[in-house]
Formats: sequence, C-alpha cells, structure tokens
Amino acid sequence: MIFANKWFFAFLPVVLFLYFALKSRAHKYNVLLVASWAFYAWLSPWYLWVILLCTIIDYCAAIRVEDSDGDRARKRWLVVSIAANLGLLIAFKYTPFVYDNAVTLGRWCGLEVRDRYWNILLPLGISFHTFQGISYTVDVYRKQIRAVRSFRDYALFVAFFPQLAAGPIVRAVEFLPQMETPPTPTADQIADGLRLFLVGLFKKLVIADQLDVLFVSPVFGNPSAFDPAAHRWAAVAWAAQIYCDFSGYSDMAIGIAKWFGFELPRNFDVPYLATNITDFWRRWHMSLSSWLRDYLYFPLGGSRRGPVRTYFNLMLLFVLCGLWHGATWAWLAYGVYNGLLICLHRAFDRAATGVRWLDAVRATRLWAVLAWGLTLSQLVAMLILVRMESWADGWLMLKSFAASDVWGAWSPRVPVWVPLLVVAVAVGHLFGKLKSRWGYVVPSPVRAAACVAALFAVVTLTPGVTKTFIYIQF
Amino acid sequence: MLSTPAPPTARTTRRPFAARVANAGRRTARFASRNRTVVFFLLFLVLADTGFGLFAPLWGRYSPDDYTSRIRACAERPRDVVYVGGSPVAEGIDPAALAGVPWRGRPLNDGYAVGLSGGTSTDFYYATKLACPVPPRVLVYGITASDLNDARGEPHGARTLLAPRDLVEVMRTRPDAAEWTARHYLEGKFGRVSNVYHYRHAFRMWAATRADALAPGSCPEALRDATNQREHADDLTSPTGYAPLRGYALRRWDRMKAAGVRPPFKYLDKFRTGSHLRYVYKLADWCADHGVELVLVDMPVTTDWESENAAAFAEYRVRLAEVERERGLKVIRGGRDGAGLTDEHFADLIHLTPPGCHTFNAWLRGKLEEAGRTP
Repeated sequence: MIFANKWFFAFLPVVLFLYFALKSRAHKYNVLLVASWAFYAWLSPWYLWVILLCTIIDYCAAIRVEDSDGDRARKRWLVVSIAANLGLLIAFKYTPFVYDNAVTLGRWCGLEVRDRYWNILLPLGISFHTFQGISYTVDVYRKQIRAVRSFRDYALFVAFFPQLAAGPIVRAVEFLPQMETPPTPTADQIADGLRLFLVGLFKKLVIADQLDVLFVSPVFGNPSAFDPAAHRWAAVAWAAQIYCDFSGYSDMAIGIAKWFGFELPRNFDVPYLATNITDFWRRWHMSLSSWLRDYLYFPLGGSRRGPVRTYFNLMLLFVLCGLWHGATWAWLAYGVYNGLLICLHRAFDRAATGVRWLDAVRATRLWAVLAWGLTLSQLVAMLILVRMESWADGWLMLKSFAASDVWGAWSPRVPVWVPLLVVAVAVGHLFGKLKSRWGYVVPSPVRAAACVAALFAVVTLTPGVTKTFIYIQF
Repeated sequence: MLSTPAPPTARTTRRPFAARVANAGRRTARFASRNRTVVFFLLFLVLADTGFGLFAPLWGRYSPDDYTSRIRACAERPRDVVYVGGSPVAEGIDPAALAGVPWRGRPLNDGYAVGLSGGTSTDFYYATKLACPVPPRVLVYGITASDLNDARGEPHGARTLLAPRDLVEVMRTRPDAAEWTARHYLEGKFGRVSNVYHYRHAFRMWAATRADALAPGSCPEALRDATNQREHADDLTSPTGYAPLRGYALRRWDRMKAAGVRPPFKYLDKFRTGSHLRYVYKLADWCADHGVELVLVDMPVTTDWESENAAAFAEYRVRLAEVERERGLKVIRGGRDGAGLTDEHFADLIHLTPPGCHTFNAWLRGKLEEAGRTP
C-alpha cells in the first residue's frame, strides 16, 4: 500500500525537507517534479514513458491551441490531445476486454480464434492523469485558462505525487493558479493535513483492509458457503470497505498536498447519506462526477436539447462512467444500472415537482428517511455487481440481499468486528454531516487526541498484509 | 576639529538579554498557539507512548522477544557452560539434563541454552558476547549446516543483537549482506523509538484476549495466537533456557511423512558458505582470548533432510573439518546414529521432540564427559 509503506515514510520527509529548504521557485518545483516522477517510477517502473508522453503531447497541444489563429487549427490540436489521451487509455485498459469479446463473438460465428494468452499491465493512474490532460487542453481551448509555458510547471501539475495514483482528478484551473508562487502551508493546512492523512490511513488500514480480510473476501470468494444473512452483511461491509478504501486514499492525497501548501478538491461528502441517486453522485467521487458533467454531459447538450436527448446523455454518461472504472461487463452493468436509476429519478422528480401534496410529503422527515433507506439499499445492491466473482455468485448475493425476511437477521458466520467497523463508518458519516450542517468545530485538543488515537489504531490494529488501493487498479 | 559622533554599534543597540528572552518566549507562544493542534498532537503522542511503555512487562508476556529474553537470562549470572545455536539447540539441548558433567575435574553445574531460532553463526557470535559478560568455562556451539548458509540471514539478529560497532564489523565482514544488515539494524533501532510500534503485536494479542473475554468467540485465531505467545513467554522463564515450543511435543516426523505432510523448509536453499563461516572463526578467537573452551556439536538432523541436501551437507562437513583443524577445536559428531535417533524422535526435518531431546542429551552427556577428560 503506497502511503503506508516504510519507504514512503522515508520518501515524504525527505521531499518535504528539500522543498522547504530550497528558496527559489524553480528549485522547489524541480524537486517536487523529480520526486513525483521517482514516485511513479517506483510504483510503475515500466510505464514512466506513458505519463511523460501524455505530458509532452498535452503541453505542446495546449500551446498550439492558444497560439493558433484559426478555429480549425485550434480544434485540430485539441483533437490531437484528446485522441492521444483516450488512445493510450483505450489501448492499455480496453484492449484485453475488446479482444476477449471478439473471441467470443468469433466463436459464435463459428470461427476458430485463440484465447488470449497475454495481458496488459495497466500504467499507474492512467485513468486519472489522462482525464487531467484532457481537461487542461479543453480549458485552454475554451479560453478558461492560459496555456502553461513552463514544461516543468505543467509536468508537475500532471505528476504531482500525492494524487498521481488515484486522484482526486485535479483540473488545471484549480491547480495551476496555486503554482504561481510556491505556496507556504498555513498552520491550519498543516493541522488539517495531519488529520486527513491519519484519518485516511485509519479508513484504509483499520476499516477497509480489516473488513476485507475478516469477511468480504471470504464471502464474495465463495458465497455458497454462507447463509443469506452473511451475504447481506458482506454486501454492507463491502460498501463500507470500498468507501473507506477510496476516500481514505483521497484524504491522504489531500492531506499530503496541504503539507506542500496545495489545495486539492474534495472527493467525497458523506455519500451514504444521499437521499437519491443524483444526490449520491454529487457526493461520491466528486472530482470524476464533475469532470464528466463539465467535459462530457454539457458538451453533449446537457438537458437543453429536450427530454429524449437528456436521458440519452445521462445514460451515455453513466455507461462511460462504469467503463472508466474497469473494462468488464460487470462495470458496464454498474454504469447502466446507475444510468437507469438516474433517469428514473429525474423522471420522477420532474413529474412530482409542483404537485402540491407530493411536494409536502417530500418535504417531511419521514420521506427523507425512507428515501435515504431506499437509496442506500440500491447503492449496496449495485456495489455487489462490481465485487462478485461470477454472475452466478452475484445473483445469489443479490437474491439474499433482496430477500423479504427480517433485514437485521444475524448470522453466526459474521465476525463481531464487522458490524462494529460498519458502525464506525456510519458514525463517521454522521459526524461529517454534523460538521457540514452546523459548522461544528472540534476543539484542538480533541482533534489532536483523535489523531493520536487514529495513529495508535493504525499501528496496532492493521492486518499483517495490506491490500493495494482498489481505485489504483482503475 | 570636531569629529562626528560614531554611529551606534550593534552592541550598543542590542536589547537586554531578558528582553530578548521575553521576545523569544512570546514568539514561541505565538507559534505554539497558531499550531496548537500539532503541538497537542505531539504532546499527546509522547504522553500516550510513554504511558504505553509503562506496561512493557504486560506486553512482553503477549509477544515475547525470545532472543532478548534468553540473552538477558543467560547474562544474569556467570555460567559454567553456555550452549549456543539455532532452533536445533532450542529444541534439542536441555542444560538440566547435562548438569554436572565433569570438565577438567570440576562439574559444569550451571548451564544455560541460548537457542536462537532462525539464527546464523553471525548471530550466535554476537549473542554469545552479549549473553556472556563473564565468560563461561565452556561454550558448546550446536552447529548445523543452515547456520553457515550465506544465502540467508535472520532479521531478528540484525535488529536486536548488534551495537553500532558490530554493525560496521558485520558490514565489513559480510559485504554481500551489508545493505541487508544495515536496513534491518536501522529498522530495529527505529522500531524501538516508539513503544506502541515496538509492542504493537503484543497489544493486538492482549486486545484479542480481552475482546474474547467480553464476547467469546469473537477472534478465535488471534486468541489462539495470544495463548501460544503467553505460554511461550512463560516457558522462556525456564532457568536453563530450555523452552521447547509446545507444538513440537505434539508432532512427529514419521507420522507427518506417513500422512504425506511436508511443510516447506528452505533453510538450505542456494547453499553457499563464506561470510557466516568467518564468524565461527571469530567465535573461536573470542573463546581463545577469554579462556573459554569451545566445543562444536554437529546437531542431529533427519536422514531425509541430509539426503535431500547431500551437496550442502558435504560442503558443511568440509568447512567444519577445516575449523576443527585450523583452530584445534573439539567437534562432537554422529549424534543421530550415536544416540539412535530415528524419525520418531524428530518433530520435523531438523527439530527434536522432547523425547528425542532426552535421548540425544543422554548420549551428548557421555560425549561431553569424554571431551572433558581429554586435554
């Protein structure tokens, strides 16, 4: 696990020390860039050329976009950038999927086709840095930002090591202005960075990895050996695990960036408290949702071209969102399922809004609770799709999840820690809500004590073998 | 001619010491106030870690450090004889069974076995120096082929047995393992900076025990592990250092063979000798310098292990003969056949069961008596 590795704990202080010891802007950013590339080479040594190639293409294309006079020339350079990024992404990520399906199709047609005996190792963070590159050239094309003339600055924006492997997807318009003068972290940033880093470690090592080892992997690996109540708990535990895994990484990335004085965008906002699917996607992987909205949904026309086109756009958006996560039929199904739910919710919302009695019902607390319960159960069911080992296993789990007997049924196969860890995630969500809604500020000593407790928990309760971050595989 | 007054020097404009101290104090207070969360964090961290360390004896019971325990216990008082070696010594030599062996006319009454599982000759050299602040009359090194295998190293040794000077010495003597040794040495030292980190496994075992008391069956595997650790910690308080792992009392190699069970045992993989061997010579030199008589005992292993690694054992025996010849040491060989040990006396490929240890020690006693008579 990259942020809980002893080498990372040696690497980070050295980079921080050099960054703050050096005085000039150029030296600081040189150090940060070399460190970021070294970090990439450490984790994905064969593919450093991929991120370098993307960086060079986008850097040159953006300058060409800005310097070209005619709109056709500008558009041509934009297409070069987008095609290069998507081309690399598709080549690395989707070639095996396309080949496998071509083999299946070929066999249906009676052709003799060999099974795939090769595999393609995915370059680290390719799904993230290609999207960053695209957003940059598009923003330059839209004249929202100026093209960066310093290759070092642009390369650092792409390769900034805290968010390199699994986001958040940072946009040039958010990051590049911060680079004008090397930021000095404030006391608040240092404290927030500490809190976020430790909370992220706690989420990943104490909750996500423990849930995986204790229960999620055994049940999803062989669901027929467990009873329906265990299936339900495994589905809920998996929802808690994937949240803690991904948001843990984001927290750590944001926290580390703060120590350098940089602010990265938030990626999660208590997503399991969403009261409908649209609300959920505003809270879950926010940097991806907003990226897809701004660079795909709006250019497609958004909701301005009539209802049919709007629903088509939404479906396309979520199908692509599903495929962005992984080149499998299960991820495609995940995208379709999300798209359908979003379309259904939008249709219901359009129909219900303005109906006086329905508006009154929807404003009640009971409705909010019911909507939350329904949304959460849909989300958990949906997540089974992406964790199942086979469609048969997934169907078995889904049947158990949807069974009509008492929901809170207990299974002796569920370790007592699983509900406790799930409750910890729920408490975290409620606390997050409390903070954002009422602006509750935790006193410094309490915050410091919580950080110490999180650190002790990380040191003492981490399972022997830690798993890599789930989203790094995307 | 009037001269213009000289500008005030830095010395004259300097504020009084008290004012400077007060100013520095104000600045520090402002800094601490601005960074109060981090300051509280560091303060609480130190307090909590120190508090955690106060329970070291408790944590020691849940995750005993057998290297440190054995070395400390051995060093408590001067010994007549110290038996040193790896796990074959830990499982196969019971100093109580060998007590009173006459050596040059005087009995070797007080003996202690420093059996360091997984160790190599390098580790045993440094362990001997630590365990014997007062040199014993006799040092018995229960040697086996895997002690000399340069393809392996024991992280525990580099972490716990070496002083900074020793590290430099190992890096010079074993250049092939210099980076490895330095890394583990530093990990060991950094690991001891924090009590929580150092005792993290013990805390987990303790927590599992407490959790199981509150909710029985909540963590069966951790509880089993915790129970084993506590039992082993109790065994390590044995006055002679003989603390065989309880699991070995229940296992027998002949039965495992019959059942087709073959646990992996890779201690002789990529066998090569050289740098660990130098430490056998260093041990001999240390003994010579301190007036200690060194006896090497070629520890018995199963016929299976020896036949599967015939080349390694052949090289090992050549090296052993070289040491014997060059340093004029006593070497006791032939334990397996001499003591009549068969597969039923072994718990696995190289470790003796308690009855096997009893049989072997009866034979070894006779050999030591014989050695003690010859000059």
